[in-house]
Amino acid sequence: MNNPIISIRNLCVNYITSGKPIEAVNDVSFDIQHGEIFGLVGESGSGKSTVVQAILRILPTPAVISGGKVIINNKDILSISNTEVLQYRWKQISIVMQSALNALNPVLTVREQIEDVLKEHNDLKGKSAADRTIELLSLVDIDVNRLDSYPHQLSGGMRQRVVIAIALALMPPLIIMDEPTTALDVIVEREILAKIIELRKELGFTILFITHDLNLLLEFADRLAIMKTGRLLELDRAQKIRRGGKHEYTQKLIRSLPSAAGTREKGLLPKPESLDLGEQPLLEVRNLSKSFSDSGIFYSSSSEVVKNVSFQVFPGEIIGLVGESGSGKSTIAKLITRLIRPNSGDIFLNGSNKKVSEARKVPLEYRKQVQMVFQDPFSSLNSIHTVYHHLARPLLRHRLVPEQKLSDYIIEMLETVGLRPGTTFAEKFPHEMSGGERQRVAIARALSLSPDLIIADEPTSMLDVSIRMEILEIFARMRIEKNLAIVFITHDLASARYLADRIIVLQHGSIVEQGVAEDLIQSPKKAYTKQLIKAASPGWLKSLSIINTKKARANHV
Amino acid sequence: MHSNNDSIFTRWVTGILRNRKAITGVAIIFLFIFLAVFGPFIVQDPTAFLSTPLSPPSWEHLLGTNGQGQDVLAQTISGARQTLLVGFTTGIVVVLIGALIGGISGYYGGRIDDFLSLLINLFLVMPGLPLMVILASWLPPGPATLIGVLVLTGWAWNARVIRSQMMTFRNHDFVSAAIVSGERNIRIIVVEIMPRMLSLLASSFIGASIYAIGAQVGLEFLGLGDVSTITWGTNLYWASNDMALLTGSWWIFVPTGLSIAIVSFALTLINFGIDEVTNPRLIAERVWRKKISQETISNGITPVIKKNE
Repeated sequence: MNNPIISIRNLCVNYITSGKPIEAVNDVSFDIQHGEIFGLVGESGSGKSTVVQAILRILPTPAVISGGKVIINNKDILSISNTEVLQYRWKQISIVMQSALNALNPVLTVREQIEDVLKEHNDLKGKSAADRTIELLSLVDIDVNRLDSYPHQLSGGMRQRVVIAIALALMPPLIIMDEPTTALDVIVEREILAKIIELRKELGFTILFITHDLNLLLEFADRLAIMKTGRLLELDRAQKIRRGGKHEYTQKLIRSLPSAAGTREKGLLPKPESLDLGEQPLLEVRNLSKSFSDSGIFYSSSSEVVKNVSFQVFPGEIIGLVGESGSGKSTIAKLITRLIRPNSGDIFLNGSNKKVSEARKVPLEYRKQVQMVFQDPFSSLNSIHTVYHHLARPLLRHRLVPEQKLSDYIIEMLETVGLRPGTTFAEKFPHEMSGGERQRVAIARALSLSPDLIIADEPTSMLDVSIRMEILEIFARMRIEKNLAIVFITHDLASARYLADRIIVLQHGSIVEQGVAEDLIQSPKKAYTKQLIKAASPGWLKSLSIINTKKARANHV
Repeated sequence: MHSNNDSIFTRWVTGILRNRKAITGVAIIFLFIFLAVFGPFIVQDPTAFLSTPLSPPSWEHLLGTNGQGQDVLAQTISGARQTLLVGFTTGIVVVLIGALIGGISGYYGGRIDDFLSLLINLFLVMPGLPLMVILASWLPPGPATLIGVLVLTGWAWNARVIRSQMMTFRNHDFVSAAIVSGERNIRIIVVEIMPRMLSLLASSFIGASIYAIGAQVGLEFLGLGDVSTITWGTNLYWASNDMALLTGSWWIFVPTGLSIAIVSFALTLINFGIDEVTNPRLIAERVWRKKISQETISNGITPVIKKNE
């Protein structure tokens, strides 16, 4: 094991500013051995992508590499000439980028993009280039008649396969994968990962895999390194890290991973002892449908995003609305909060006979009772106003609190969601706070009107793993304290399981299955739900690789 | 209880004050405004016949006299008053109308947008210059006519740009959040969205002002303004009538022409400054290029600069 394919020694990267340079990567060292999958995990801003870009020397402009060595084949990449740099790119190291749609050129066909790489580096021409292109596509399981398709004609998973094919084109010994599956749905993600493992067995390349998703790497990587604020905190074999790791930060990360398999661990998120929901539903959604139409002079098209969805939410209940992108879950959130109007169907609040969905103008009373927490706290707060403004406006509008008590009430609300001291946070602007703090402000804003129902649309998906549980904990606590009903929308079955009482699984705009959370996880009835649960459980990789080895054996015989 | 120490406005003002381009532009504009306001009280009467026509610059008349024997310096300074007044007023009115129509159109969407977009497009496809000439010659000459004509032919483009930006902001979550909390639409537009569009509104104002000054001078040069008033445009009109170019009396038209050029230049500088203040990336890139040696910069390859070497 002492034959590293690449060794990085004391790498430092600075961003040049008019003042002091900002240290993005500080003294990072690690070796990657031949044939292994090396994982680099970190939250946003940890410097993991910067390390990778420094290896390829493709950092964006204000950056310079300010120290260290990157040694491949006994050569330090940081001290060779610029023409040599161009030669080792792609031949020695290639990269698979995060968003396949951005990595592919929209005006070139798949064939043109692959052949371009071959011609540029290998001087393959005409027939041999065409043959190689077909060979590469079959490696990643893409049908040959897709060769002349444009990127937009392919699905997200297929595009990512094409990008992988391009990375494989020159058979480099090391392939860097920078969050290659983050933009994909869980099930597609798992397929791509299985394919990568299969290809590695076949072709024997080494992988440097970068992601924020520790859960994924624990299954996938041989060894992994954990980064935070530009430094390497821990580097060990995946099995050892799974058992808890040495560094405090690693332990915190491992603890905050909910799982969809096995029995539910106690104490992770509080649930009330007994759940007496009563007879009368708080919110009733009946046969809700919504389609978006796009019409012009020469064309018209319409797509049905939500199809005939019905469900009930009782006071004090948390419903988990689970689905992948395109399942219509965010559209349902917008329909319930009346940001958009349904094509058909009814929404009843508080058992009233008034169909909220019919009123043209939403009554102010409804606005008070139904609040929403958005996915992205960077966009749901207005950057030009203080936290105080964000909380004061709704309260003034609904005349809930007399003006002289306003600031006391706001400070109290901020402290309830864990922003202490409230007086300091009230004066802050959104850009002065971290993502987690902003999301707490957004939750405080939703809670300040004492609503009966909160719609939380993926409230943790934009946040770093280590603080997700803390945010979910606020929801769990508020429900118990204030008898609040919550519709928790997520793509992550595991976190829905821990927070919600009941789970509704959505696919393509319709409800696949609904039931009490634990029952649904332990004994799912529909195939789609089973697939989702399998993808979110530890050991998913093994179950996928078994299928693949079986296939490989069958081919052999 | 809450201070606005770090609000976008203060950041903006300090940013502009620290930006070399912007502060130069602002200084020039203020100088011209100062001259336009107080200058006429200091200089000689611009309408009085003081000396021999077409006499070149001398100590008595620093910039010489024109075909009527009037002092060119006095005319240039007095001319600034109405020209700048019409220019900046048009700029403000154009931005106000653009923000109103474009803002409403982009925010509400649907039928309202269909109708207002049609209106905007209608004004966009109308040939501006002929319309301007016809209207200016048909209406009674004067500053009000000029402003009216310039606004009518100039508002649509700004409305269009503001509409697009409004449509982008309309889909931001902070707007949805405000709607869900029960905020009134008009308040959302004015308090939540408009301040976010400050840089666009400011550069729209500057663009519209440059256009208004240019177009105004052009119309007056053609004799479509009120030729009895003194503006930069009529100065050039009289210079042309007196055949200043043929007689080689450059001092008649150069001061006015140069003033117009400098004002436009200063406004453009402010626009560049606003760009840099609101898009710090532009500055970051320049600093980066300045701080590292030129040899190490190569297209697309990150430079290596080690401290100990």
